[in-house]
Amino acid sequence: MLIATELLTELMSILPEQQIRASGSENHPLGNDGRVTVYPKSEEEIATVLKYANDNGKTISIVGGGTKRGFGGLIESADILLSLADYTGIVEHTVGDMTLTVKSGTPFKELQEYLSKYHQKISLDPAWPEYATIGGIIAANESGPKRLGYGSARDAVIGIRVVYPNGTVIRTGGRVVKNVAGYDMNKLFIGSMGTLGVISEVTLKLRPLPKYESLILLSFLEENLEEIRSFVIKFLDSMMEPTSLELLSPSLSERVMGQNLYTLAISFEDVESSVHYQEDFVKNIQPAKTKMTIFQQTEAQSFWEQFYRIGPNGTKYVVSEEIEAALKIGVVNLDVLQVIKESQILQDSYNVAVAAHGGLGHGLCQVYLKGANEDIVSAINQLRDFVTRLGGYVIVKHLPLSLRQKVDVWGEKPSYFFLLEGIKSKIDPNRVLNHKRFVGGI
Amino acid sequence: MAVAKEVETKDKHIKNLANIVGGAQSILYKKEDLLAYDCDGFTIHRHLPKAVVFPKNTQEVANVVKYCHENNLPFLARGAGTGLSGGAIPLNGEVIISLVRMKRLLSVDLENRRAVVEPGFVNIKLTNSISDKGYYYAPDPSSQYCCTIGGNVAENAGGAHCLKYGVTTNHILGLEVVLPNGEIIEIGKNGILDPPGYDLLGLLTGSEGTLGIVTKITVRILKNPEAKQTVLAYFDKVLDASQAVSDIISAGIVPAALEMMDKIAIEGVEAAAFPVGHPKDIEALLLIEVDGISAGIDEQIHQILQVCKSRNVREVKVAQDEQERARWWANRKTGFGAMGAISPDYLVQDGVIPRSKLPEVLSRINQISEKYGLRIANIFHAGDGNLHPLVLFDARKPGETEKALEAGSACLQVCADVGGSITGEHGVGIEKREEMLFIFNDEEIIAQTDIRDVFNPKNLLNAGKLFPTPGRCVEVKKGMKEVITSSKHKIL
Ligand SMILES: Cc1cc2nc3c(=O)[nH]c(=O)nc-3n(C[C@H](O)[C@H](O)[C@H](O)COP(=O)(O)OP(=O)(O)OC[C@H]3O[C@@H](n4cnc5c(N)ncnc54)[C@H](O)[C@@H]3O)c2cc1C
Repeated sequence: MLIATELLTELMSILPEQQIRASGSENHPLGNDGRVTVYPKSEEEIATVLKYANDNGKTISIVGGGTKRGFGGLIESADILLSLADYTGIVEHTVGDMTLTVKSGTPFKELQEYLSKYHQKISLDPAWPEYATIGGIIAANESGPKRLGYGSARDAVIGIRVVYPNGTVIRTGGRVVKNVAGYDMNKLFIGSMGTLGVISEVTLKLRPLPKYESLILLSFLEENLEEIRSFVIKFLDSMMEPTSLELLSPSLSERVMGQNLYTLAISFEDVESSVHYQEDFVKNIQPAKTKMTIFQQTEAQSFWEQFYRIGPNGTKYVVSEEIEAALKIGVVNLDVLQVIKESQILQDSYNVAVAAHGGLGHGLCQVYLKGANEDIVSAINQLRDFVTRLGGYVIVKHLPLSLRQKVDVWGEKPSYFFLLEGIKSKIDPNRVLNHKRFVGGI
Repeated sequence: MAVAKEVETKDKHIKNLANIVGGAQSILYKKEDLLAYDCDGFTIHRHLPKAVVFPKNTQEVANVVKYCHENNLPFLARGAGTGLSGGAIPLNGEVIISLVRMKRLLSVDLENRRAVVEPGFVNIKLTNSISDKGYYYAPDPSSQYCCTIGGNVAENAGGAHCLKYGVTTNHILGLEVVLPNGEIIEIGKNGILDPPGYDLLGLLTGSEGTLGIVTKITVRILKNPEAKQTVLAYFDKVLDASQAVSDIISAGIVPAALEMMDKIAIEGVEAAAFPVGHPKDIEALLLIEVDGISAGIDEQIHQILQVCKSRNVREVKVAQDEQERARWWANRKTGFGAMGAISPDYLVQDGVIPRSKLPEVLSRINQISEKYGLRIANIFHAGDGNLHPLVLFDARKPGETEKALEAGSACLQVCADVGGSITGEHGVGIEKREEMLFIFNDEEIIAQTDIRDVFNPKNLLNAGKLFPTPGRCVEVKKGMKEVITSSKHKIL
C-alpha cells in the first residue's frame, strides 16, 4: 500500500489528478492489473507516463477495452495500469481516399457505425466489437471468420503512431495505401501484445461496405468428415469468392442455431446478383444428407453479431467454479477439419464443454472450453499435442492468471527466439511494457 | 563426376569461396566478368563487386555467408537485377550471392492454396506452372517476366493488380532465411498464418536484402477470377480522368486494376513495341479492369462507363476479347521501357500520394518539368495512388543526369508534401536514401536501423542502402526542416 501511495503522489505530479486512480486491494483474477490506473487523454500524456516509468524502474500494463485481459501475462499486477479508455476518437477520415486515422482507445463498433454512414468499413471482424478497442485488436492481431475474404490487421493497417518506452513517438508506415519506404515497421507492432510500445494512433485502409450479403449454413447430418472435406475441396476449387468458410463444431452449432451438427458457415458479400449466383452454385453442389439454411442481409448480419459474442470476454469476468478458456490454433487450412473434430472429442474425454470453429480457407481455429481447473489444463495439453503433431501451434487467448502460470500460453519458443528477444531489448531494454505477456516471457 | 575447375587467382578469399560453391564454374571474379554486375536496374551508380558466387542450395548460401561474416567481407544477395533503386549494387565491393541457380518450384498444394519456391524462381513462371489448373500468383510487377520471387520479397514488389489483391507482403506465408551470420531460420512453418512472435515475415518482406538472404518462400496462390472485363477510357483533361478514378472508388467498386497514363507516357508507348493506337492528343487515359463473379461484372462495368461519361470522357470502350485485353496490357506493362523510344535516357520515380491529391500533384510535377527543362511522363497506378514520374533526359549532355536526379527527387518531395510516400514499390535502395528524410525524422530512422542491428549487427550485408548516409543526414535535414514542420500535420 505504501508503494502505491508513493507512486500515486509521483504520478500526480505529471498527470491531472482525476486521470489517476488507485486500485482496490484485490487484484483482478485475470491478472495484468496495476496498482495505480492512469487514463491519459493525449499522446503527450502517454509519453509522459512511459518516460516516468522507464526512468524510475516502474512497470506498465496496457489495457484498451479489457476484452483480452486474460490473454497472456504472468504478472498479477504491474506498477501502473495504463488505460486507453479515454484516448478515443477519429483523428482524420479522408472519405475519398478511403483511409481513417483513429486514436487507439476507440471501440471498434463505434468506428464501424460511424463509417457505415459513408458506406465504408474496416475489413476486420473481431470478437466483442462494442468493447474491443482498435488498438487492442491490432496489438493482439485479432481476426474473425471473414479473414478469408478480407485479410487481417496486417493487411488493413497502413500507419501507426507508437510511443516507445522512453517516451519517443515513432511513426511507422504512413497514410497512403501503398508504401515501401524503409522497413515495414507497422508489422512489428501488430500482434506484439503491447510489449514494444503503446500504439497511440492507427491509420487503416477502408473498404466499401458490401452492397449485399448472405450466409449459407450447411449442416451435415452425419458425422462424416470425409464428406465435409470433399465438399470443401470442390467448393474451394471453384471460382466462387466466399468471405468466410468456417466450420462450426456440433456443440457450437447447437448454441448458435440449435442444430447439433457439423455446420459450414459460408458468407458471400458482393453485388446482389453475384451473391445469389453464388448461392445457386452452392445449392447445385449441395451434398446429400445435408441441411441448408440461407440468411439474407440483416439476418446474416445478426447471425454474425451473435457469433462475435460466443467467446469469453475479459471485461465480464465472474469468479466461478467453472472456468473458461479460449484458444487460437493455427494449422494448414484443411487440417482445420481435424482440429474441430478433436475438439469435439475432448468434450467427452475431459468433462469440459467445448465449442470450436475454424476457417478452412485460412487455417485458424478458435476453441472455447468450459469446465473445472484440472480438466481445462488437461484438455489444453491434449489439444496442443494433437496440433503439434499436425505441425501447427496453440495459443491460449483467455485463461485466469492462476492457470496461465501452469499452462504455457504461447507454446514452445521458436528457433529464432533470439531475434524476438533482440527486438524487445532494443526497444524496451528496461522491460517496462507488458513484461512477460508474450512469447518466451518477453 | 566432372572435376571442379580451379580458379586462376591468388586471392585466398576467391579460392575459398570457389571451394564453398563447388569450383570455378560457380564463381565470377575476373574484371571483365564482373562488369555485368556493377549495377542493377538503377544504372546511375556503379561499383564492381569482389566476386559473384552462384550457390545451388541453402547450405551453400549459408556457408558463403558464414565465410563472409567470419572474414569481414561485405556481401549482398542478387536476384535478376531488375531492381530500380540500386538495392543490388555492390557499393562496398561486396561478394554478390546470386540466387539465379536456386530456381526450382519445390511444391504446389492447390487444396491449401500455397506453393513453395526457391528465391531465384521467376515470378511469371509460378502462374504459368499452375494456370492449367485455374490458379495464379497475384503480385504482378511489370518486370514479372524476368524478376525473381526472392527479389520481390526483398522489395515487397507490387504491380498493376495489387489494388484489389495486395502487394507481395500480403501473399507471403513462410520464409527460409540465412541470417547475416550464416544461421538458417524458418519463419511461418508450413505456411501457417500468424506464427507466435513478432511478425518477422512482415518485417523481412520489403527489407531490401538488408536483414537476411531469403532461400525459400511459401506463397499464397489464388483461384482465377471467374470473369474479367477491361475498359479503356480517353480523356481530354487530366482533371476529368482523376475525378473519374475517385468516382469509381466512391461507387464502392474495387477494381482489380486502375491505371492512368498521361500525354507524354502515351506518346512513349505508342512509339514503342506495343502500340495500341491511342489518340495522341488526349491528356490522359485510364485502363480499368474489374474481375470476380461473372454475375456481378456487367453491373460494375455499366457503372464505370457511366462514371466516365459523366466525367466528359472522349471515348470509352470495353475489350472485346482476350487478345484485345492482352494488347492493352502489353502496351501498359512495357511503359517504362517504352520511354526509350522517345528519349535516350529516363529515370523512373515511384512516389505515392493520397488519390484525391492527384490533380494538384500532376500540376506541381509539370512545374518541376518546366523548372528543370526536362520532360516528365507519368504512369500511375491511380487506384492506389502510386505515381511513376519518368524523367526523360540525355546522359550524354553534361549535367543532365544530375538535373534528372534532382527533378526526380523534387517529385518525391511533392508526394511527401501532400502526405504521401517516397516509394510505393521500387524501394529506397541507394536512390532514395536521402529522401527518407522527407518522411521520417532522425528518431524514426534510428528505430529502423536498431532493427537492422538485431539481424545484421556487423552490417556486412548490403550496407549503405535504405537509410540516409549519416554525414549528409544533417545537411539534407536542414534544407528539409522547414518543409517537414510546415506539412507536419499532413505527413503524420
Ligand atoms: C521494366 C521494369 C518494370 C518494373 N516494374 C515493377 C512493378 O510493376 N512493380 C514493382 O514492384 N517493381 C517493378 N520493377 C522493379 C523490380 O523488378 C522489382 O523490384 C523486383 O522485385 C526485383 O527483383 P529482382 O529479382 O530483379 O531483384 P534484384 O534487383 O536482383 O534485387 C533487388 C533487391 O533485393 C535483394 N534480394 C534479391 N534477392 C534476394 C533474396 N533472395 N534474399 C534477400 N534479398 C534479396 C537485393 O539485394 C536487392 O537489394 C520493375 C523493374 C523494371 C526493370
